[in-house]
This record gives sequence, structure tokens and C-alpha cells, in this order.
Amino acid sequence: MLKFLIGFIFLAASIFAVTPVESIQQDIYNARDRVMPALVHIQPVIKDYNTGELEKQAVIGSGVIFHKDGYVVTNYHVAGRAERILCTLSDKEIVPAKFIGGDPLTDIAVLKLDLSNYSGKIKVAEFGNSDSVQVGQYVIAMGSPLALSRSISVGVISTKDRYFGSDVRLPSGERTGRYNLWIQTDAAINPGNSGGPLVDLQGQIIGINSRATLYANNIGFAIPINIVKKVTDIILTKGKVTRSWIGLHCQALQELENYFGANRNSGVLIASIDPGSPAEKSFLRAGDIILEVDGQPVSARFVEELPKFYSLIADHKPGSEISLKVLRNEQEYTFKVTTKQLGDLQGEDFECKKWGFTVKAITKQMQIDYQLTDTVGAFVVGVKPLSTADNGGLRRADVIVKVNNDDLKNFSDFIDHYDKYSLANVDKVLLTIKRSGATRYVLLKVDNNKGDTLDEK
Amino acid sequence: MKNKLISYVTFVIVLLIILSPQYATAQSFDYDRLYNIIKDYTVIVDVKMEVSFGVHTNEQADRYLGTIVTDDGLVIFNGFTFNGVRALSSFSGFSIKTTPTEIKITTLDGKKYDGEYIGVDRYTQIGFIKIKTENNEKFKPVKFQNIKNFKVGSWVTLYTLLPDFVNPPVAADIGMISTVVKTPQFFPLTVGFNSIQLTSVLFNEALEPVGVLGELNNPSSSSFATGGLMESSNPSSNMTLLGIVTGEQLEKLIANPPQKGKTDHSWLGITLQALTKDMAQFWHLDIPGGIIVNDVMKNSPADNAGLEVGDIIYKVNGQQVEIDKEEKIPIFQRLISEMEPGTSVEFSVLRRAQEGGVDSLTLLATLQKAPMAAMDAPEYENKDLEFKVRNLVFSDYLYYNLDSATFHGVVVSALTQGGLADIEGLSMGDIIQKINNQPVNNIDDVKEIMKKMKREYAQGNHLFCLA
Repeated sequence: MLKFLIGFIFLAASIFAVTPVESIQQDIYNARDRVMPALVHIQPVIKDYNTGELEKQAVIGSGVIFHKDGYVVTNYHVAGRAERILCTLSDKEIVPAKFIGGDPLTDIAVLKLDLSNYSGKIKVAEFGNSDSVQVGQYVIAMGSPLALSRSISVGVISTKDRYFGSDVRLPSGERTGRYNLWIQTDAAINPGNSGGPLVDLQGQIIGINSRATLYANNIGFAIPINIVKKVTDIILTKGKVTRSWIGLHCQALQELENYFGANRNSGVLIASIDPGSPAEKSFLRAGDIILEVDGQPVSARFVEELPKFYSLIADHKPGSEISLKVLRNEQEYTFKVTTKQLGDLQGEDFECKKWGFTVKAITKQMQIDYQLTDTVGAFVVGVKPLSTADNGGLRRADVIVKVNNDDLKNFSDFIDHYDKYSLANVDKVLLTIKRSGATRYVLLKVDNNKGDTLDEK
Repeated sequence: MKNKLISYVTFVIVLLIILSPQYATAQSFDYDRLYNIIKDYTVIVDVKMEVSFGVHTNEQADRYLGTIVTDDGLVIFNGFTFNGVRALSSFSGFSIKTTPTEIKITTLDGKKYDGEYIGVDRYTQIGFIKIKTENNEKFKPVKFQNIKNFKVGSWVTLYTLLPDFVNPPVAADIGMISTVVKTPQFFPLTVGFNSIQLTSVLFNEALEPVGVLGELNNPSSSSFATGGLMESSNPSSNMTLLGIVTGEQLEKLIANPPQKGKTDHSWLGITLQALTKDMAQFWHLDIPGGIIVNDVMKNSPADNAGLEVGDIIYKVNGQQVEIDKEEKIPIFQRLISEMEPGTSVEFSVLRRAQEGGVDSLTLLATLQKAPMAAMDAPEYENKDLEFKVRNLVFSDYLYYNLDSATFHGVVVSALTQGGLADIEGLSMGDIIQKINNQPVNNIDDVKEIMKKMKREYAQGNHLFCLA
């Protein structure tokens, strides 16, 4: 009897003491087995124009197959500006991939694997629901930290609504983060993890790892999978994410609600309005508090609520009319705003190899960012040190408006002029540029004997 | 008789040897005599100052050798630390600002006075202080000699201020004129001195005060509005060049010392670019150099005179403007800025016509006082919210590309770290346009509004800011 009792206690103790750990261990194995086969190690060659010449860089990122036709989701900053992409699958086979579409504003890109020479069978991982994740919940990060492929790390969700404002920029210069919050995790995220999945213990992807705090211990951030689902769906069906733009910049109301009166603790405070934007044309003003959008109440007392509001506006079809009920000087007014399409953040890049600089087309968003008078001309991205352009005094952020005596009509007009003059080996070219509103002249003295090869077209 | 003749001849020979210049050496200075000369006008200047880095402020004390230059007690000293009057110094929201809080002046024989800060000359960095006296006490000032012939190889001497634990407080030092610089400006260069001796009075072998020790700056490193600074990594261009600020220059300065906050120089109102030889050739212009007008400020003297973007100024009052390099632009800027406001200046201008031809024009501009620099803009400090604001100045409008006719506000010029304004989210350089929905045009408006709100602080004051 005593023996039996001791035996029972022993058994019970072993069940209660060991099982939870074993169960977590088992969950990690299960989650691993569900996602690892779909994990992709991505090696894109990206183009960098910032130094004044086209530089190609081989970078490393991670991704995961989410669709049976071989679609891979990764970060825009990994593959968005890639020229050539190679992917290593979980069975170590290398296949090429094609860039399908991307969205810098949420840092998401979709690739398609070229499986024509692949004899294996790809596995697909499942998206979970990032709205139901909990702080403290176990998560597994998978990817290629510092190019070490097929690595996993384990941690918990540290915070699920981290807000960074809309001034976060991708390495290529595009703003990001205006439309999403981040899931913060202490599962180790290092450079190379970018684009890899953050997985729960059920083996479902709850986020795409995209950034980490340098010099910190395990402070990493993932884009919530519900945002990823939305963006990848649009990319697969329409190829590109289009958003509405009315030109609002908002501020958390909490900071100022005492001033506006204690009973006003809901609404979205407009901090500033882009000049010439639809919001400005519809007579909205900084200081207005938006109470309703199309009859639905909106509120952003805290900064964490801003991305949701921005998305609500952005998700309208460009060109549609939004009705905004605002509070101004204790009075309620309703304004109708016709949205415009949010244009590309950055224009097309071009290398003027012979003259020693790189340019890009000026988009509407760049015009606002750099306070330019219009979008005409070519924006100087970089000037190669000691090049013809450098010697002539050209600088980054100059806008070329004239080549010799010809006013530029648009960006391709500039490229035409470059092609014409560089092909004809013209040795002196005068660029008229705008710098901080002033008009300057840059004389390029081109050394045609230098043996520079002409750009390939 | 014969003896007398011999002794006379010997006397003449000895005299010739003594007076003969090639024998001049360090020994030829009679320092006892020199000390007697300088002790009347040499003073020690102790300055306590507040150094503001925007987010925090330090107290600092410095000691300088000063020289009395007028009989009513104007003193010059090395004002490098205070060089706040750099005109149009680009955006100053983040710069260091030094404000003297207490000035004590001690003569070499121990008499003590209080001093009042006057200003710093932006080119020579010579600082000016006025001795405060009870009953219009008269001083014996230095009288600089206006000497134009500086001979390479001749000796010059000065006194250096020693650290305060040493007595006597000054010691002599000697140097030599090493060359006479012609461009970018006339400047006799010396060897043997160092930068801590700047603004010390220099004496030639005849013990005449010929000027003060100054520094020749690379013009391209101090210029605003050249459109871009020509930074060089070439070590020889970063060499410190010390030499003589001559009596002639000093006389002008002393007669009209710079005043803090008072803009005492002229401007034309353009941003500019040098007409390089290559450009002149490209446009088939037969001139040795010139100034290309890059931008014309609204209602500026240039605008009123009819100058246009793209014009090339090649003569000022009939004098050729030989500016063919960006580095030489400060020569032009200085030429304009040192003329009296109100002066009429004749500009000979080339204007390139659309068809390719070139028109030659003569334009008459009446110079105006240059706009105030951000550093000199009136400031308002709110101790409860722990922030300072200043009025918007011309360079702000230029920097932010704002329209001065329609855009008003004040600039946040200092914040105490961890202070209320800092915590509430104000940043250095923010432009406050409204406070509690009341428009703010200048610091007086802020003062007014803050006074009215004084009692509301307890409930938490909120600023609505736009940058």
C-alpha cells in the first residue's frame, strides 16, 4: 500500500512537474515542422544609386512561402529594389525568383519562385491572426540572421502595439510605418532575419520580422500578419497597393484634450496639412478635431491609434469622396474631401555614368518632402567624388531644370538629353539647377578620352 | 684735435652700427622701455559668461589680455568666443551662444573696474568692451601707427598674458614678418606667435605699435550664401595663418565698434556664384571673372535695382570684379557689406538674352542694412515652462523657404532638458505659430499670452505647435 502510494505520488509529481516544459518543447518542434519547410533564404542583388554611381550590392534576407504557386513574402527593403534574386529553399536547393510587387509603406514585398527546374515539392506556411496574439505569448523567429540560414530563435511577444511614427525610413530612403504598428519580440532578430516569419506555437505566422534595435539585447519588431495578409492580397490581385491621400498629419489628442475641454476625449487632432493637398483645398485646418469619417466615429487619443485612422483614409478608393465631421472652435462642421491617389514615394533612378552622378524622377511625395516648387526636372541622388559633376559643383538634392539651353519638360526628357550629349561626346555641358530655391549653373567638363564606357541601354 | 676727430669718427661708426638695420635682433628691443609704454593701456579682462548649447547652459570664466584704445576706456580683446555677430550665419537654432554676464578689468598696476560688453568684429574677431568709470575718468590709450611698409624679415614683439598663478602677469614674445599676403586681402604674416596671443598689440623695432595679432581665415570656410562651402582636406589649407591687423584697419574699427544686436553692415540681397573661367569661356564672355546672381530676395536692394537671376555682375563702381573661383566670393561679399547702408553702388551687369546674345546694363542699387542674424534676434525666456523663443529672422525664412509676408511665428531657441516644454514635445527649432489658438507674431505676443495664462499653469498648459 505504501509502495503504491509512493509510486502514485512519484507518478503524479512527474506528470505535473515535467509535462508543461515537455509540452512547450513539443510545441516548438511542431511549429518548426510546420513552418521551416516553407522558409526561404533570399539573396537579392540590390541597386544603390546614393554614391553617385550605380552600385550593386548582394544582400541577404529571409522569406516564407505562403502560396502553393510559389509566392514568397519578404520585406520591401530586402527585395524591393532587387535586380536579381536567388532563393535557397529549406532543402538547400537554390532557385531564382522574380519580384512581383512591393509596398514600401508597410515594408512588404512578394516574390514568385521560378520552379521550372526544381524537382522537389514546395511547402506552404499558414498565416495566423495577429489581432488575437497576446503579450507574453511564446513566439519563434525563423530566418537567416547574419546570413546564417535556417536559424530559429525563441522568445515572447514583448508588446503588440509598438508605434514609431511616420518618420521611419527604409535604407533606400522611403518612409514607412505610417499605416501599421509593430509586434515587438525578444526572440533574437538580427540583420538577415528581415522578411522571415515570426511564428506562434501553433505553427502559424503572426508577423514578418522586419527590424531590430541595434546595440540592444533582443528588441526586434515584426509587421503584424493581418497587415501582411491585406497587402499581399492586393499585390497578388492588383499588382500594386494604391492608397488615397488627402494630406493630413495628425497628433494624439490626449496631449491636448485638457486644452480642448475635459469632455472632448475622442476624435483625431489635425497637426498639419500638406500645402496644395485635397484636405487644404476642402478647407480643413490644423487644429481641427475629426470626429467622424463617413458617419463612423473615429478617435486617436493615443499615438498607437493613429495608424488605424490613416489606414481608414488610405483604404478609400482614390478619387472618392470622404465626408469628415470636424470640431472647430466648439462648432461641428462637415467637410467633403475628394481624395487623390497617394503617388510613388520615390521616382525612377538613373545613372549618368559619364558625368558622374545619379538622378531620380521627382514624385509628388518627393516634391512635398523636399519643398520643391514642382515635379519637373531630375533630382540629384548622389555625386561621385572627383567626377566631372563634382568638379562642376553639383550636389546631392540639386534639381536639374535645364540642360544647355533646353528647359526640361520631364524626367525622360533629361535622360534623352543625357543620351544625346554623352553619345555625341560633347565635352562641355551646362546644367541649370535649383538649389534651395536659387538658380545655379553647373558646367560639366567631360573628359571623353577617359575611356568611360557608355551606359548600356 | 686729431683725438677729437678720431673719437667723433668712432662715435659715428658706433652710431651707424647701432642704427644699421641688418643688426637688428631680439636684443635690439628695449623691453624696460616697452613695458613702460604698455603699462598705461594694457589691462587684464576677466569675463564670466553663459554658454548656451540650446538644451543646457554652462557657466564659464575666461581671462584675456586687453588693450585700452580710446581715452574714454574702450578696450579690445580676443573676442573669438563671442563671435555671435556673424551676419546671416545660417540657421542658428542649434548653435552655441555665448553671453557675457560679468566683466572685470584690472590694469597692470592693480586698479579694478567693471566692464560692459560692446560686441565683436565678425572679420577680425576683435572684441570690444567699455570700461565703466565713475567720473568720466580719462585713460591713456594706445595710438596705433599707420605703417604700410612691412618688411619681410623684420622683427615684431608683443606681450602674452600668463596664467593667473604667475606674477608678473605678462611676458614678452618675439616674432618675425615672414611674408606680406596680397590676396585675399593685404595681410603681413608673422612667424613665432600663437593663437592664444590673438589681439595682442604688436610693436616694430622702433617700439611703435603697428597693429594687433590677427588671423587670416580661409574665406571659403566662413561664407554663407556662396551656395556651398568648399571644404578641403588638404592640410596646407587648414594651416593657421597669424599676422598683423594693421593700424589703419584698427582705426576704422575703433571709430565705429560693432554693437551686439546692431547690424552695422550692408547687404544686396542675392545668393551668388562665381563666374569661373570655364563658364566665361562657355558663354563667350570676355571678362576675367564675375558674380552670377542665383537668387534675388524680394524687396532687397538688388530687387529694387532690377537685378535678375542669371545676371552676371562684372564691375562694381567701375572696378572689375575678378571673381573666378567660389573661394573668392567672400571678397565681393565683404566689399558690399563694408559699405555704409544707404550707399549708391553702380553695378555693370551682363544679361544673357534668350536668343543667345548678351546685353550690357548698368544698374544702380542703394544698399540697405543687412537683416538681423538669428543670434541677435530678441529672445523671450519662460522660466516656468523652461524654454526660450526668439523672433523669426531673415535667414529662417530663407532656410525654411517661407514667405515673410504671410508667415509669422517665433522660433524655439532654447529648451531645458527635462523641462515642461521639453516634456510636452517642443523641439529646438520648432516654429510656434499659435498658443492656445491665439496667433503669435513675435516674442511680445508670447510674453502677453504667457502673462495672461500665468494662473493656468497648475492645470497644465498645452501648446499647439507647428513646425
